[in-house]
Amino acid sequence: MWRYIVRRLLQTIPVILGATLLIYALVFLQPGDPIVALFGEKPVSDAVRAELEAQYNLDQPFLIQWLLFLKGALVGDFGVSYSGQPVSELIGRTLPVTFQLAFMAMIIEAILGVIAGFYAGMRRGKIFDSTMLVVSLIVIAIPIFVLGFGLQLIFGVQLQWVPPTVGSNTSFTNLILPAVVLGLVSFAYVLRLTRTSVIENLTADHVRTARAHGVSDGLVNRRHVLRNSLIPVVTFLGADLGTLMAGAVVTEGIFNINGIGNLAYQAILRGENPTVVSVVTVMVLIYVVASLLVDLLYAALDPRIRYA
Amino acid sequence: MHNHTPRQGQERFVAPTVSSELPALHVDTSHPPENQWKQAWKALRQNWIFWFSASLLVIILFVVLFPNLLTSVDPRTADLSNSLGKPQAGHIFGFDRQGYDVFSRTIHGARASVIIGFLTTIIVTIIGLFTGAMAGFFGGWLDTIVSRGADIFFAIPLLLAAIVGLSALNNVWPDRGYWGGVFAVIIALAVFGWPQITRIARGAVLEIKHLEFVDAARSLGASKWRNLFTHIIPNALPPVIVTATVSLGVYIVAEATLSFLGIGLPPSVVSWGNDIAAAQPQVRSGDNLHVLFFPAGALAITVLSFMLLGDAVRDALDPKARK
Repeated sequence: MWRYIVRRLLQTIPVILGATLLIYALVFLQPGDPIVALFGEKPVSDAVRAELEAQYNLDQPFLIQWLLFLKGALVGDFGVSYSGQPVSELIGRTLPVTFQLAFMAMIIEAILGVIAGFYAGMRRGKIFDSTMLVVSLIVIAIPIFVLGFGLQLIFGVQLQWVPPTVGSNTSFTNLILPAVVLGLVSFAYVLRLTRTSVIENLTADHVRTARAHGVSDGLVNRRHVLRNSLIPVVTFLGADLGTLMAGAVVTEGIFNINGIGNLAYQAILRGENPTVVSVVTVMVLIYVVASLLVDLLYAALDPRIRYA
Repeated sequence: MHNHTPRQGQERFVAPTVSSELPALHVDTSHPPENQWKQAWKALRQNWIFWFSASLLVIILFVVLFPNLLTSVDPRTADLSNSLGKPQAGHIFGFDRQGYDVFSRTIHGARASVIIGFLTTIIVTIIGLFTGAMAGFFGGWLDTIVSRGADIFFAIPLLLAAIVGLSALNNVWPDRGYWGGVFAVIIALAVFGWPQITRIARGAVLEIKHLEFVDAARSLGASKWRNLFTHIIPNALPPVIVTATVSLGVYIVAEATLSFLGIGLPPSVVSWGNDIAAAQPQVRSGDNLHVLFFPAGALAITVLSFMLLGDAVRDALDPKARK
């Protein structure tokens, strides 16, 4: 087990290095001078330029810039944005909000998706199953910004059950609607995944054997059908954390939430390169850690999987 | 005929032996077993979801190819006096804020979405199938390089990666017009989309390459490459095709999302994403819903058709899923 964890951790190193290098190249290997952009129309004196270039490592070759960035990132220092704020501070302020949002979305999609998918699979072809299939397809087919906007209009503007936009007050109740919107598409995928795998497991040999042994229906369904059906769902949820963080770009925009998605989006639009690479690095790290946790969770769910 | 002659000096009883010719093995070659594609096509034909989604897609394709047969109104001509006009005779979807005819915009907007969906999927599938098959088949260092490479591109969330990629393209290639704008979105989505197919193709090839029929082909003298192209890749195709069909819809949604965020297609391009983004502020209070409803509905129906087609193809190609 420990050897597996170590090997898996070592495997993530080239992924993190490669992904940061890729994003770094996309952001920094562009024509155009960020220092000129910083000053707009005003002329820049050579002394100021030299000082700024030194501050942002722009006087170094590209690969050295990247290595210096990694060196700082290792100790949680992402440098300073062009507008003068420490990037770590920006991330520290916005990441918890997005975490809360993504976590709520994940709870919603996992619980509702598994329950609905389980019952749909158990009653394949019945009215609940068909309804859920149609609902999931509609949710996937309508772009999330249209759905989010529609729900905001209904619950925020018309019914006034929740505030239409969140702003700075990121309390639990204020975040419920954005979390539902963020988790909606993944809910549909979880539902379909659970349903398919419940249907597959219902006809599995070990389930038939358990029933033949006289184990009660409820126990077979819970222990043998549901538990086995959760394995692909857990894989999906692990990879989904990254998708949720990225999906936050849209959701946080609609509901005006000061999360990391909004930070990333604004930074990209404004050409705040240090912020962009830092935020993407954080998201890559989250993705890598989540998929590592999923691999370890397998062992708890599926005793057949043993790590050598 | 019985050969029952005892040998010389051998009086003992010798069991009679039959020396007839071996009975000919009757292999009916006039009716070879159906291959999986034929079986799948048979299953597909009996599925109403396939016919439903396929007919929707034929209609959508028609709209993409011949928009001018459906509307004679120019989608780029606006009359401000019609701003936010309600649906009416001659303009059944009404007008948007600029006074554009929404019906015409919705019809002409299909082209960008569908082309982006199709081309991105084709590019991603070709790259993914090639890299995945190579990695799974040859293994070793090639597999390590391809798999880690796929991990790297997969680790950056697609939407965020596409935003960063497009903003980079904006700097290098500004003012790119209609086709330039379309291809920029395709490039951004394809560069970060291929690992999904690579992983699926690699997994399928790994499963297939140890099956008996591959060994049989090799023992009959089939070369590595022949094995790869005639036996392994065709059998690894079903999961790839299913994923590709579903992801076609996902790419169309991604394009709309990018355009909605203002970084996808340039505003001059008539597209559903751009129209939805432009409609958003007009609908804030709950009025003028028609401006949002029609482009969003057209987008949803298109994506839904591809999702349904993917479902039907999955059911047809997976023998386990057949009832």
